[in-house]
Amino acid sequence: MLKTLSFSILLLFSFVAIGQTRVQILGKLVDTSGHPLSQATVMLLLPKDSSLVNFGRANEQGAFVFKNVKRQPYLLKASYVSYVPLQVDVNPAQEESLDLGALSMKPISKELFEVVVRTAKAPLSIRGDTIEYNAGSFKVPPGATVEDLLRKLPGMEIEADGSIRAQGQTVKKVTVDGRSFFGSDPKLATKNLAADAIQKVQVFNGKTEAAKVTGIDDGKKEKTINLELKESHKKGGFGKITAGIATEGRNELKGNYNKFDAKNQVSVIGLANNTNQSGMSFDDYQDFRGSQAFSWGDEADFGFSGNSRYITFDDGDEQLGIPIGGRRDGFSKNYSGGANYNYDTKNTKFSSNYYFNQSERLIDKIATTQRFFQDKTQNSADTTSQLSFSANHRMSLRYEKTLDTLNTLILIGNGKISLGNSTQSSQIFQQLLVQNNLYPRNTKLANASDQQSFTSQNTAIFRHKFAKKGRSFSASAGYNYANSDGASTQKSLNKFLSATTLRDSIQAIDQLTNNFSTKTQVKSSLFFVEPLSKVFYWESFFNTSFQNNRVNRDLSDRSSVGMQTRNDSLSRFYDNNLTYNRLGSSVRYSKDGVNVTVGLAAQHFNLTGDFRKAAGATNLATIDLNYLAWIPKVGIDLELKNNRYLFFSYDKSVQEPSIRDLQPIVDNSNPLFLRVGNPNLLPSLNHSLSTGFNLFDAANFLNFYSNLSYNYNVNQVVYNQSINANGIVLTKPMNISGGESYVGYFGFGFPLKKTVSTLNINADFNSAGNPLFLNDVLSKTNTNSGSISSRLSFTPNDRITFYLNAQFGLINSTYEKSALPEQTIYNNQYGSELNVNFGKNTFFSYNLDYKVYENKTRGLYQEMPILNVSVYKYVGKAQKSEIRLTVYDVFKKNLGVNQNAFQNFVSFEKTKTLSQYVMLSYTYNMRGLSSSLRKN
Amino acid sequence: MKKVAILLFLVSFFAFCQEGKQEGVVHYERTTFWVNIMSRLTYLSAEEKDRIKLTWGSTDEGWKQKMTLAFNENQSLYAYGEENTEQGWSGRKETFFLTKNFAAEHSTDYIDMLGKTYIVDDTLHTPTWKILNQIKEVAGYICMKAETVDTVKNQKITAWFAQDIPVMAGPERYFGLPGLILELDINEGDVTIVASKVEFKKLTNEFNLKKIKGKKISDAEYTKIIADFIKDSIKGERNPYWGLRY
Repeated sequence: MLKTLSFSILLLFSFVAIGQTRVQILGKLVDTSGHPLSQATVMLLLPKDSSLVNFGRANEQGAFVFKNVKRQPYLLKASYVSYVPLQVDVNPAQEESLDLGALSMKPISKELFEVVVRTAKAPLSIRGDTIEYNAGSFKVPPGATVEDLLRKLPGMEIEADGSIRAQGQTVKKVTVDGRSFFGSDPKLATKNLAADAIQKVQVFNGKTEAAKVTGIDDGKKEKTINLELKESHKKGGFGKITAGIATEGRNELKGNYNKFDAKNQVSVIGLANNTNQSGMSFDDYQDFRGSQAFSWGDEADFGFSGNSRYITFDDGDEQLGIPIGGRRDGFSKNYSGGANYNYDTKNTKFSSNYYFNQSERLIDKIATTQRFFQDKTQNSADTTSQLSFSANHRMSLRYEKTLDTLNTLILIGNGKISLGNSTQSSQIFQQLLVQNNLYPRNTKLANASDQQSFTSQNTAIFRHKFAKKGRSFSASAGYNYANSDGASTQKSLNKFLSATTLRDSIQAIDQLTNNFSTKTQVKSSLFFVEPLSKVFYWESFFNTSFQNNRVNRDLSDRSSVGMQTRNDSLSRFYDNNLTYNRLGSSVRYSKDGVNVTVGLAAQHFNLTGDFRKAAGATNLATIDLNYLAWIPKVGIDLELKNNRYLFFSYDKSVQEPSIRDLQPIVDNSNPLFLRVGNPNLLPSLNHSLSTGFNLFDAANFLNFYSNLSYNYNVNQVVYNQSINANGIVLTKPMNISGGESYVGYFGFGFPLKKTVSTLNINADFNSAGNPLFLNDVLSKTNTNSGSISSRLSFTPNDRITFYLNAQFGLINSTYEKSALPEQTIYNNQYGSELNVNFGKNTFFSYNLDYKVYENKTRGLYQEMPILNVSVYKYVGKAQKSEIRLTVYDVFKKNLGVNQNAFQNFVSFEKTKTLSQYVMLSYTYNMRGLSSSLRKN
Repeated sequence: MKKVAILLFLVSFFAFCQEGKQEGVVHYERTTFWVNIMSRLTYLSAEEKDRIKLTWGSTDEGWKQKMTLAFNENQSLYAYGEENTEQGWSGRKETFFLTKNFAAEHSTDYIDMLGKTYIVDDTLHTPTWKILNQIKEVAGYICMKAETVDTVKNQKITAWFAQDIPVMAGPERYFGLPGLILELDINEGDVTIVASKVEFKKLTNEFNLKKIKGKKISDAEYTKIIADFIKDSIKGERNPYWGLRY
């Protein structure tokens, strides 16, 4: 009696068996030969939606009973492993107890059970007393057709001619996703469709079953196979095109198209305009590169990896990447276009793209600069006009192969060919102020250049995981090559207006320079991780690199009649090699949000080189710099409760001197500002301490970021500036220690009213004390800069978005131990943006950007209110078209303005820039436009 | 006499179980497919959804976490399994312990959610399950298909329960089927929780939790917090599941 079964019924009710509303249902489960099926699961379901009301198990005799259940119709369902689940309609009438008697369950055919359920792990569907199987996971070799797949399915036969028999009957029809588009011959579908595109194979016994799933009643009773495609195999494609015409002869045209399926992605993009848009938008870039828009794991220069949980989104070298964004100063005509193809499968990923861009740019600018020395001040007013042309062809290839579960190989190749030329003419009017005496001077410059370059970067990365969990090894190799071939002419005429002799008063330069340089680098890195325990990891790396730079600069002076004479003192041939080795090791601790890395590396440089007047001439100077540095590393990263993060790091970096700074040649590209290198320069070291705290409060839509760092420089490269009696400045790099800076950033964003209004406040500062070397006298400049900005967003509904922002920035420079005047410059900005949906797919928006530049010390002030206003309307049934009228720069105030204060130098620059125009544009977007405004 | 016999059923309430198949630990792998989740965000345009699919779709192999479920016929504890620190970073383990007591019909869930630790303490509210006509194998056990709907998160839940492990327990906040749930699929593959191993063993201290402090709330209050947050997030055009377990 104790073994009798019962169920989760409120048993108290069984004492008060109310005959009219409650009933007892009992029965017995047996197999086809009458043996009891003990422990079979028995469920009572509601017939209308199969919802579970009660359940229990059969006892040793196969008997079950549901006590005291509500008197209503049920679906009784019984299941037993390897038997076809049984379904019985139960309709209790007035009886107190309903005995269903012996219910017999049929075994599932052994073949079906073993092959479908156990081997292929595919689900079996039970419809009435027949069984169907959805064959999602039958393993077939890559490239197999549906026919090959069907061959594997139990109960399915493929005749020699390709006709299909299912459970002995000929299949007359094959549908794909319920639709028959392969005509009447079922073989067409099975022979041509790839097996791995299929999610399910459904076999239907006749019309009614097929109609249930496909909804198509063809009136016939035939065996039908329905092939359900995998979701990912359903193809996608989107794209848009915009054309605009405007006043002032402005036009733009841009478009992109992307097509993809589970494996292939193809995209093309193009743009042409004379409205200063040189690059594509980030969204367009993402669409163009598809699955390769964000590539990581491509870093081949292994180093301290601890705490590197942040993914870098960068497409290799910046020079080689596809240009994104950018409205530039001046006037430019831009054309660009490219194509990208990606092929992605689980084990093989291939990506290739080609991108071309060209830009023709006209710049007219005036600049005023002031350069202070102990006893002299140089004021300069320049007018420059420059016309330049540049064109770039970029190509990239990437191949990633998962060789097996433990080995991965990545090959990357990037290349770029650039062509460019420019002509520039400048008028420089300078005043040299020496103890209240003015020495005015006038310089005319006419420079031209023509150059082409080629860059190529090639990387191979191999990763191996060992069978031991956590142990891994990576190796990389790289070969980079770049060359540049250029010719430039420089003509300048210098007039010293206050000079007493003719010889002093006029200086003329007419030079032709041919430059050819090559840079070759071969490098390799190794990385090894050994787990010391479940939480400690030991990581080691080794980097080695060899780089050769060769420059041949051939300079000739031209006489007034065009005679060329080689200028040996300014011509140079040099050849130098940089060998770099680094060996490092660190221990990482990772557990429950605590990640700590402590490590040490030894870094060695060897820089050798010589300088000659020409290839094969006698050696003028030899450089042989050997340098060993110890590089410690500490990183602490804590993930605290409730999305709060605290981090701390100490890093040291070493930077070898640049070749330009090492070469003992006077560079007279600007005859008033000469540069000379210093072959005795040492590598500079930087110590950096950094700490920060971030907080994300999802519940309150609140976030806070902060970051503070301190940098200290040893052997910093500082340029010694000396000025001669004629006001010509000569700079020479020196190593000086002691420069330091404090840098901080804070950001705080919180809702004033959730989902309606948000306020963001950001502030940053940079307080730096740097050595200043003027006329061989060492002093110090303290530059404090900072900005505070705030943005208020108001997004009450999807018809209005409104934003207000303001930013205040200042840079202040003071000088220690010298009488240079303090400098303070202000860069302030105020902005407002409004977008309104008036309904009927009609929109209005404006964007106001009001900038104010001010240098009080020098009395410079520039206001720049830029207002863009547009009205637009979506047309068409699917809202695929947009017509837009935009007025750019309503007040006609656009200018390129740039002001700066650095060391002993203050500048203020204005560039004539594309200003007011009215544009009418049309956009066609394949995927339709959304009429609700996005909040951001 | 008959009524006395019925009374005896009370004693035999859980006595029907097969020997040895009622106590142990299930190891699950929980895989989150963020591309699918993001593609469901109602405020994204068709083009933005395509962009997500194009950029991430072909390489999304899911974000994997290990989960464990200790169970016997009377109770269960669902929690995080051993973490995987191989990737070079260890994230903080949130408080996440779901305890069910089927004998006492009581549920106590300890959950870090939206910046607070909550103790959701209430009687057992069994989901309304629909039993479907499909069987398949999960981790060596033949399982039957059942479905329910999460009306708050608007998710279709598919569970596969083992016919021959007579335990009501299951992963996440799901339970109440005639067998142990070995696979759970949230919203057609957005998140899958699949058993990799079922270990039958005598449990000793697996159900013991150290004292956890938190704000005590009822099932209804828990549902309201989630519903409000999802509503606000969608209105504010943020993905609610960056801050909330899917």
